[in-house]
Amino acid sequence: MITVSQDQQLDRRRMALKQISSNKCFGGLQKVFEHVSVELNCKMKFAVYLPPKAETGKCPALYWLSGLICTEQNFVSKSGYHQAASEHGFFVIAPDASPRGCNVKGEDESWDFGAGAGFYVDATEDPWKTNYRMYSYVTEELPQLINANFPVDPQRTSIFGHGALICALKNPGKYKSVSAFAPICNPVFCSWGKKAFSGYLGKDQSKWKAYNATHLVKSYPDSQLDILIDQGKDDRFLLDEQLLPDNFIAACTERKIPVAFRLQEGCDHSYYFISTFITDHIRHHAKYLNA
Amino acid sequence: MEEESGEELGLDRSTPKDFHFYHMDLYDSEDRPQLFPEENPRMRKEVVQAETANESTGAGDGKAQSDLREEVEELVHLYGLEDDHELGDEFVDENMPKMGVSEYPPYGMKRRDPAREQRDWRLSGEAAEAEDLGFGGWGSAGQCQDLREVYRYTHGRASEEYECYVIPEEEDEEEAADVFCVTCKTPIRAFQKVFDEHKEHEVIPLSEALESAKDEIHKNMYKLEKQIIDMENFANHLEEVFITVEENFGKQEQNFESHYNEILETLAQKYEEKIQALGEKKKERLEALYGQLVSCGENLDTCKELMETIEEMCHEEKVDFIKVSVFYTNRLGKFLKTKTDVEISQLMDSINTIPAPSAPVINPQAPNSATGSSVRVCWSLYSDDTVESYQLSYRPVQDSSPGKDQAEFTVTIKETYCSVTDLVPNTQYEFWVTAHNRAGPSPSSERAVYVTAPSPPIIKTKEIRSCEEAVLICWESGNLNPVDSYTVELTQAESPEASGVTESVVGIPTCESLVQLQPGQSYIIYVRALNMGGPSVRSEPATVHTIGSYFRLNKDTCHPWLAISQDGLTIIRSERSTPRREPPPSDTRFTRCVAVMGNLIPVRGHHYWEVEVNEHLDYTVGVAFEDVPKQEDLGANCLSWCMRHTFASSRHKYEFLHNRTTPDIRITVPPKKIGILLDYENSKLSFFNVDLSQHLYTFSCQLHKFVHPCFSLEKPGCLKIHNGISMPKHVTFY
Repeated sequence: MITVSQDQQLDRRRMALKQISSNKCFGGLQKVFEHVSVELNCKMKFAVYLPPKAETGKCPALYWLSGLICTEQNFVSKSGYHQAASEHGFFVIAPDASPRGCNVKGEDESWDFGAGAGFYVDATEDPWKTNYRMYSYVTEELPQLINANFPVDPQRTSIFGHGALICALKNPGKYKSVSAFAPICNPVFCSWGKKAFSGYLGKDQSKWKAYNATHLVKSYPDSQLDILIDQGKDDRFLLDEQLLPDNFIAACTERKIPVAFRLQEGCDHSYYFISTFITDHIRHHAKYLNA
Repeated sequence: MEEESGEELGLDRSTPKDFHFYHMDLYDSEDRPQLFPEENPRMRKEVVQAETANESTGAGDGKAQSDLREEVEELVHLYGLEDDHELGDEFVDENMPKMGVSEYPPYGMKRRDPAREQRDWRLSGEAAEAEDLGFGGWGSAGQCQDLREVYRYTHGRASEEYECYVIPEEEDEEEAADVFCVTCKTPIRAFQKVFDEHKEHEVIPLSEALESAKDEIHKNMYKLEKQIIDMENFANHLEEVFITVEENFGKQEQNFESHYNEILETLAQKYEEKIQALGEKKKERLEALYGQLVSCGENLDTCKELMETIEEMCHEEKVDFIKVSVFYTNRLGKFLKTKTDVEISQLMDSINTIPAPSAPVINPQAPNSATGSSVRVCWSLYSDDTVESYQLSYRPVQDSSPGKDQAEFTVTIKETYCSVTDLVPNTQYEFWVTAHNRAGPSPSSERAVYVTAPSPPIIKTKEIRSCEEAVLICWESGNLNPVDSYTVELTQAESPEASGVTESVVGIPTCESLVQLQPGQSYIIYVRALNMGGPSVRSEPATVHTIGSYFRLNKDTCHPWLAISQDGLTIIRSERSTPRREPPPSDTRFTRCVAVMGNLIPVRGHHYWEVEVNEHLDYTVGVAFEDVPKQEDLGANCLSWCMRHTFASSRHKYEFLHNRTTPDIRITVPPKKIGILLDYENSKLSFFNVDLSQHLYTFSCQLHKFVHPCFSLEKPGCLKIHNGISMPKHVTFY
């Protein structure tokens, strides 16, 4: 009976997926689906790349979390990850960066908060807490949906991108590897973080620690996480001290969490920078996912 | 016919009788040969009569006939006489008509009652006598009487006796009978016819009756005569049979006898032959033995004589003894002389016939015929020559000092080849040969130069470099003089299926060879040196593993402040403050940067090695071209790619230097072991934290030439190189 109920659940989820687009790319398929998210209480789109190897067997899943102002489209259309993902045989799942169309008051007022800036936290404050549960969405609901609908190997999952550090550090063992491009490493000390966290989590700064990578790494239980970070040296947000990678590096050095932080000469915060090193990142994950 | 009613009596009587009769007759024929011919017809007749007494003789006939046949067959069988077939058939055939004839009498006898009565009587008498016959045999008087009576009776037909038998009776009864009563068949008087019982009988005149009776008697007589003739014929025939049988037996006897004689003769002959052969052998043996005996005796005599002589000599005075011994010595000398004379004369003969040989032709050295200490020299002679021995002379060829005479060696051999041993390796020797026979030596042959095989090379085991695909092996020649080439032989070790398979790389002109190998194997490598004479023995083996890349540090490049361990894999910069005097600039040796290079095998492929470091040590590891400027720091030019670690004020600084530039890389966990992957194919040089499998950095570098690992220590400390190890999986992603 349990099986039946599970099947029904799966069927429901499978049925819930609506394919928006499908494009052949490096032997695989770049698809976009729409579904109704339980966590977010809204229709959500996500992009998924099906590698050629998925036709013959289960493949690892690599989740990409986009940064501010992005939808699922930015990464799939700009980063140029497909060739490497095709070669290594990865599903690459790129969800939207925030809930959409929730009509929460003020969600469209600024580009660094609300729609397009979910910050991958579970909001606890009104009016955000009903919809802005991006952390649970990307770490729980979406993986279940993917696992139910695609031939992925749940044991081989990695994450990269903007919110990846937090997701990985908060879930030791859940992800085989993690990497990031110009992540906001210490949000409690930057204006973006302060604005977002106070909005989503409230004024109590102790609650903010749960989404602070530099803080999370201090309590990370072991050093079996190999973190690759690429940072553009000419990234204006780096210069504006929005990202604060040095704090994170210092924390990791102290905790002996292996980080290779590469400050890339002349690079900015654009997808040009990302597309330059996306292959390095996918190889980094391949080292663990295909080991 | 009346065969069924055949009387047993007649049969019983006649058949056994016949049986016995013939049997006895034949077996005892010699006892009474004369009697038989006479008796036989009689007996036969009796039998016939006996049968005629029966109304039904047919049965007896048939039976008797078949019995007879059996009998005859038995006889034939018994005597094995082939002739008897004919005889037997004849015998039976003869019997049959007889039997047929015997059927007539009853017909006639019916009319003659008295005869019939008499026969009946006689028949019964005979029947009574049949038993006696069984016991009494033929010799009994009663039987003879019987036979005689029968004989008489049968013969009596033709005599007056027969008539007397009948007619007197008539005359006695009635003198005046004139008529014959047919009915009563008796002569009667005519008046009797009128009355009496003959009144109504047919009566004929007596004479007429007489006539008819006479006729009837004549008829019967005629029949009887005929019967007698037949019987006689039968008797004659039996006689013939008897004679034939006798003759046949005689013949057979003769045959047997002649056969017997023949066999006897053969046996005797054989016996004679054997005896003769035996005798000859005996004689021969005896003679031989006798000869031996005689010679033995002679020997014995000689021995005795000798003994006596010796005893005498023993007893004689010393002077005499010497005399005698002198005598004997002379005798002995004489004896020996005669022998020698014979030999000399033979020699004289041969001298007259054989000329001295001509010079042999010495062959050039055959390839691969020499060893390090020996050569095999061959030559040939002219076929006309008679050669008893050769003298082979040789000496080493010495170009440098012609004035100084080298020692010459000479050996004498019978063959046209010689293995000359105890020579110096890789050395040329001059050989020449002369042939000898009784007439003397030949002129000397041309001089031929032979060379001994080289000494084995010596593999420089410390300079062996290898990678997954190849090995670069170096060796010392091991010979003072140059050799033609070298051969590298390699066998796979630790793989039983490939054991014994040896690959060879031949014709290597230099003391170095790069050999392609299979990855992940162990090989045992030998080197041989070769020259005209042949290959040397194998060098000492060297073992090579094609796991990872293996190299040693090149001491020629080593900065003076650095020390390299015995195994060539550890670099030490000691704490002790060394004289700060900088060494003179050099092209090979690092003079400013305290560095050393490794000797990596020049193979374009993957090479991976690891360097064990101290996390507080200032070090630089990487690769550089061989001609990297030795006065510059590593990474300070475009001929080197390096990772430099500096530790200052408790901060680790990692630089990935090429042409003085480095990317800005922060590494949170200082590596204790750095993995370095050199990938010629993808023109990449990658660095890893081995313990974390962490990728640190990858250079993209155009490696137009071969590079070598390089290491430098900016502070005292040590670096330990690990190589000859397989590549970890994680590095394969870079």
